[in-house]
Amino acid sequence: MKDVPTQRSSAVRWVALGFLILGASLIGGIYLLDKAQKPKPRHLNGYTEWSAETLKIAESIPVQDGGRVKPLSTQAGFAMYQIHGDRSLEIDIADTSEKAKPDKDGKPAHKVIKLKPTAWFLDCLFRPEYAVDLPTFRIDNSAVVKGIGLDPGAKRDRYSYRDLQPGRDKLQELARSYDQIEQSKRDPEQQQTIDLATNVLKFESILGYFSFTRGVTMESPDRSQSRTAAMSLVMAAAPTIQQTIAESQKQGTEIPVHVKAMLEQVLDAANYSKGVLLLFPPDDPKTREWTGVGPEIMSAMTQEAADPKRAIQRVQLLESVAMAASKGDMAFRDQLTKFRDLVVPLATARGEYRAIPLEASYYRADWFLNALVYFLLASLLGGAMWTAGWNRAGRIFAWIGGILTLTGAVYCVIAITQRCIIMQRPPIGNLYDTVICIATAIVVLALIVELLTRKRFALGLAPVIGAALVLLSRLYEIGDAKDHMDPLVAVLRSNYWLTIHVITITMGYTAGLLTALISHIYLFMRGTGLDAGDRTLRRTLTRAAYGCVCFTLFLSLVGTVLGGVWANDSWGRFWGWDPKENGALLIVLWNLAILHARLGGFLKEWSFHLACVFGSCVVVFSWWHVNFFNTGLHSYGFTSGKDLIWWWYRLEVGYIILGAIAWAVWTRIENNRKAPPIVETSKVPEPA
Amino acid sequence: MSSSDQTPTKAPASIGARIFNFFSGFGLATTLLLLLGILTWLATLEQVERGLLPTLKKYFDSSSFFFTPELKSLTFGERQLKIPLPGGYWVCLLLFVNLFLGGILRARKGWKHAGNLISHAGILFLIVAGGVAQWKEVRGNLALRQGETSDVAEDYSEYVVEVSELKDGKPENIHVIRGEHLNDLQPLNGGTFQWFVHKAYGLDTSGSTPRDFKLPDFPFDLQINGWMTNCQPVSAVERAPEMNELITDGYYLVRKPDEKQAEANTAGCYARLLNRDGTAGQPFILAATSFHGYTVKVGERVFLFDIHKRYWPLPFKVRLNKFTATFAPNTMKPESFVSEVTRIEDGHEIPATIQMNEPMRNHGLTFYQASYGPQGERDPGKMFSVFEVVQNPSDQWPKISIAIVAFGLALQFILKLVIYINARFNS
Repeated sequence: MKDVPTQRSSAVRWVALGFLILGASLIGGIYLLDKAQKPKPRHLNGYTEWSAETLKIAESIPVQDGGRVKPLSTQAGFAMYQIHGDRSLEIDIADTSEKAKPDKDGKPAHKVIKLKPTAWFLDCLFRPEYAVDLPTFRIDNSAVVKGIGLDPGAKRDRYSYRDLQPGRDKLQELARSYDQIEQSKRDPEQQQTIDLATNVLKFESILGYFSFTRGVTMESPDRSQSRTAAMSLVMAAAPTIQQTIAESQKQGTEIPVHVKAMLEQVLDAANYSKGVLLLFPPDDPKTREWTGVGPEIMSAMTQEAADPKRAIQRVQLLESVAMAASKGDMAFRDQLTKFRDLVVPLATARGEYRAIPLEASYYRADWFLNALVYFLLASLLGGAMWTAGWNRAGRIFAWIGGILTLTGAVYCVIAITQRCIIMQRPPIGNLYDTVICIATAIVVLALIVELLTRKRFALGLAPVIGAALVLLSRLYEIGDAKDHMDPLVAVLRSNYWLTIHVITITMGYTAGLLTALISHIYLFMRGTGLDAGDRTLRRTLTRAAYGCVCFTLFLSLVGTVLGGVWANDSWGRFWGWDPKENGALLIVLWNLAILHARLGGFLKEWSFHLACVFGSCVVVFSWWHVNFFNTGLHSYGFTSGKDLIWWWYRLEVGYIILGAIAWAVWTRIENNRKAPPIVETSKVPEPA
Repeated sequence: MSSSDQTPTKAPASIGARIFNFFSGFGLATTLLLLLGILTWLATLEQVERGLLPTLKKYFDSSSFFFTPELKSLTFGERQLKIPLPGGYWVCLLLFVNLFLGGILRARKGWKHAGNLISHAGILFLIVAGGVAQWKEVRGNLALRQGETSDVAEDYSEYVVEVSELKDGKPENIHVIRGEHLNDLQPLNGGTFQWFVHKAYGLDTSGSTPRDFKLPDFPFDLQINGWMTNCQPVSAVERAPEMNELITDGYYLVRKPDEKQAEANTAGCYARLLNRDGTAGQPFILAATSFHGYTVKVGERVFLFDIHKRYWPLPFKVRLNKFTATFAPNTMKPESFVSEVTRIEDGHEIPATIQMNEPMRNHGLTFYQASYGPQGERDPGKMFSVFEVVQNPSDQWPKISIAIVAFGLALQFILKLVIYINARFNS
């Protein structure tokens, strides 16, 4: 642009360079800090990796969890999130490849590998001897470890099950006592103790699921000899066992001790393999509940199954899978494939395998992480674009940054589309959905604003805000550790309303945040004098913000009233003063107040943008804050992360105060410039 | 400067014009919108601490022009910071006037402003719908087990005092005194009033005067006072009265703070008979927490006094044929609640289905699938279905209004955008 004053251009470039360095240092600093805090990967003797082919087969096995049928990899992913707080785990293992060399200290060749959820889950299920040594448990508060009588490690340290085992009983005892305290009155240490105890129990339930494959110890009637028999063999012997029991009852004698001991083991094993992993679809097409291995065992043992042979074959197959785990990856894969080939046609026949491959590939692709990388790169290029200025280099950076931002947005769109296909519902049904959709929409909208204005401010900021929101979504996903594709509750099961109300209101939040973003730029540029009095730029920013206020109002107003119409059909009232409804109304009222005050001449440029910045607080209150109130029909009952909101409010209010100070200072400077020159009266000649 | 050079001075606006300008101005509009925003925000915060219904009564009740918010965050030590704010009802009313005068009458006309006018008209219609609902809406609930039929709904929060004569064990000649006619009989503090005694001397220090209800069919009239929206009878032997409460038959009423969920309140009051010969009976307690009503024998006749939620007769009967509750497999997450009912009207039987997001509308009444019970039960045969029954003349008006508003706003903003893009390309 030729009309850009050089004074502004060079100043902006210096500031942009500062931001670029700051941004790059921030990203680099976070990376280095994360690396420094990460404990050194543990060495696991004898551990061998699962091959990619084996993992792919495991991923495609359908299971029922959280009320829907999903790939094993999804269940593994969220179990890992809950227990480990991440979707990967690093360990150090022996490097057996041909190229491997001993390290500098002369130790045998070794390498660090990342265990993804499916691999970790397979270890827990089939190789518990390794799983107990995996650093699975993340404990951020060393006081929790101390509390159960163990030596704490560094902050953010990871503990294996074997590490925690000596304090296990104490942990459960403490958790039970803390559980008596009302949740809102528990201190963080107490809550973390309860969480750890829950995670240990969950881990144990996964670990013990395939305990039936370790066989049943059978003793001779005089209990002098014993041998281990496979569970499937015991199941096959069920008629004989039943006959023995019936004879004992007939004779009025007690069941023989060795039979009793065996039955107790069977019952324990069946209980362990009942709930965690629901692997078998029901035979009745009208029944929706899948079952675990436990009911299969019990159905054969009690002779209640229509086809006990089938139950025995299923258990036999799973025994072969478990046995093969110790024989190497290929043998395991063969048996696992057989099991997959057994359940997949059953699920397909019920129409429940439809989205399994797609969902497995969705998590494998990790679209949002890729989008985050693109947004971060584009953010750095945005800084470089502003640093270079309005020349060829700047143009090149702008183009590359634009393409990267667009690629990130496309990745997000692909991910959201895939989620819609998997869930068979519109994209937004819970808070996690709102974050990813707002991230995508705000980037797309900012690119549209850039197309209309061509001032490069939206182009530079779109990837920054995109990256921040995608990061927020990941933090929320980790913190919540719940599968957000699980079925919705009854009232939300309306694709019509989810489409027209929820999407509209969420886009209203997007537009509100974009408005605030544009006004932040205006205040920054004008407050620091970086706009060098460029009225065209000011006018463009104000028009863009004004357009966004109108857009926010339209979406929020229509969305809010549509919400009322929906509430009228589902809850019997149009308006219930529910915190979420009130939050939406606040956005409407704030934007209406801004527009009316602007039309009435009460808000000029400075004050208009200050009001728009405050709009972001109103949006955050409605979008996030009301969820903490734990009241009303929209409540999600959050307990953590509230501090972050208060920091946002403080930051925004601070920005508004600084903006107001800048406004006062600049008004004074401009008034002084406009004032007529002072004439010294003594020099005025006296009239003749 | 010659007189011909002078610009003609504008004649000062008349008082009427000034008033019109004030009530139709952007200044008032902005102020009212901000005020409404502040009230909404404070009401959101206060309902978390005090419950929804008490907060709404305080913030949006038509009877009060001003109120002060009571929030923990506005409490310093023992003292509550008192900031008087205008009542929400009156702010809304003033906004309606401003919207009509400024947004319709005074607003610029012409095709460029058509969208503006349309959207203002839509909002006006929406406020009217809200006002009609505020004054005319009645809501209650109806719980039915499979196979049960009923034509009576129960109000959510309003209690009534019911007086009847018992004949063969059944109440007849029922007189109902609605709670809305008793609300002003609340003692000002805890129950210190010396109610009947003071009345006897023509003096009442309780802050409320007892009210007499004429019952011409009965050999007495009824006098009621000390109405409390949430209270409990307590034995004076077990716990001595702390505030000089009136003890009758060994019991007295202890006021409780209103529950956060208004439907959980249990009302109560004191009553006594005023006999035809001018004498008055002993006061007695009527409490919603009591299992049985209070009976009085006058000669051979027996009369029953009871207090319960208001029953609300419906113009047709509803029978629940089948209730189905579906949960996501292997979870307790509800997926759907479906009630298959039959509406029995003038001898005709009309089948209908009521489920989440799909209510049944008939005769100005709407039946919503509200809940089910008992909690945790999975067998539909043992469950009962609860319908919310609402009578609201403006039930569907918001739908019309949103269509008008959306069209108006879209028209206005699209026109603005087109004008902006045109100007940009031309320049």
